[in-house]
Amino acid sequence: MSNRWWEIVVKCEPVMEESVFWRLEKFGCSGTATEIKIWENENNVESQSALNEQILIRTYIPEISTQLLDLAALSLWLEQDAKLLEVSTPEAKWHLIDEEDWATNWKQHWQPAEIGDRFLIYPAWETPPEDSEKIILKLDPGAAFGTGTHPTTQLCLESVEMRLYSNAETQTIADLGCGSGILSLGAVLLGAKKAYAVDTDALATKTCRSNCQLNEIERNSLIVADGSIEKLIESGEIFDGVVCNILADVIVELFPQFNQITHDKSWAILSGILISQADMIADVVEQNGWTVAALWKRKDWCCFNIRRSEY
Amino acid sequence: MPRKVVALIKLALPAGKANPAPPVGPALGQHGVNIMAFCKEYNAKTADKAGLVIPVEISVFEDRSFTFILKTPPASVLIKKAAGIEKGASEPNKQKVGTITQAQLKEIAQTKLPDLNANDIEAAMKIVAGTAKNMGIAIAE
Repeated sequence: MSNRWWEIVVKCEPVMEESVFWRLEKFGCSGTATEIKIWENENNVESQSALNEQILIRTYIPEISTQLLDLAALSLWLEQDAKLLEVSTPEAKWHLIDEEDWATNWKQHWQPAEIGDRFLIYPAWETPPEDSEKIILKLDPGAAFGTGTHPTTQLCLESVEMRLYSNAETQTIADLGCGSGILSLGAVLLGAKKAYAVDTDALATKTCRSNCQLNEIERNSLIVADGSIEKLIESGEIFDGVVCNILADVIVELFPQFNQITHDKSWAILSGILISQADMIADVVEQNGWTVAALWKRKDWCCFNIRRSEY
Repeated sequence: MPRKVVALIKLALPAGKANPAPPVGPALGQHGVNIMAFCKEYNAKTADKAGLVIPVEISVFEDRSFTFILKTPPASVLIKKAAGIEKGASEPNKQKVGTITQAQLKEIAQTKLPDLNANDIEAAMKIVAGTAKNMGIAIAE
């Protein structure tokens, strides 16, 4: 049976929004969503709250974390908060929803996409063309990061393609923070000798494993493990290339250990970095004896192509 | 020609910790937005504000692409910070758990003014004072 959540919907005056947020947070809900009605005229878009109409605030709590009596009590608390603020009584309603409702919804809009010169990323549930000259990378991202639609994933995959252009079969690759596995899968499909993919999120490694099967990749060609850089160190493997598409602050934390898993002619691809964070990353890279070979940018994001020596 | 906005959604989330679980999944999934892409961008842009709730207003376009702007933390978060307390009162009408000064109230209202349904600082102060009252936080005269 799937997990279910209570969806709590509070209809209230806009001036009560801050107070409702606090009450819901105190109740145990993590975060709120407010859908703002759009009023269009010729030149701009106005929000519903700006027009003083009542707003709808939605929040969620796991079914097992609360009971109907608690929800009724919440409704009374909201009523009391409104009295203290001297505004009209908010209306609170709740109903159960299934987790699958949203986890899969966006996928129906996900279309096959070309990345770089060689890749065609195909949703797992679609039938790929048989006569394509591209390398078809089939993917079901589940709830893991990495669909190929994000600029950082595109920049990384294009960088992997460039790095493996002429000598793929000699290269062993580490994919740190693998998500759906798109980058290590891409490396293996390009002909890399072997890849190791790690992620601290167990859901991501599970997704990565199933994507390996989907692309008919042999088990010993792509090794997937739960964990971070310590898993790569434990493997005893020395990597020719490291791809790491996480976030800037995580890269800063992990980078000093890169030398333990690489040799003096290794290369790395770093992304998940906002352009405004590029200087910080360049400093860390250089402080650890690596050289920035290229910096690619797309939208707000950038991707570092770096190498360990000056060759 | 400007792209058509089909939905405007405001989410209040812990900085750097967005994931596909509610409220992100249900709010964005119904509009066909790539949830992972949103989470990654939000987390990158709020990673330096860890520990705070940072609301975000997302514009979803016809082609299901999106842009977003970050907003100021909720008043309750700023009030708790100013009062130096972890949480509000269970029964605010009977119990007071902390105090903030008029100057702190004005400072919070000033911070929140661009995002509140208020035209001036006085109206913003009234909203913030109301939230404080509900939390069991007194305003010192």
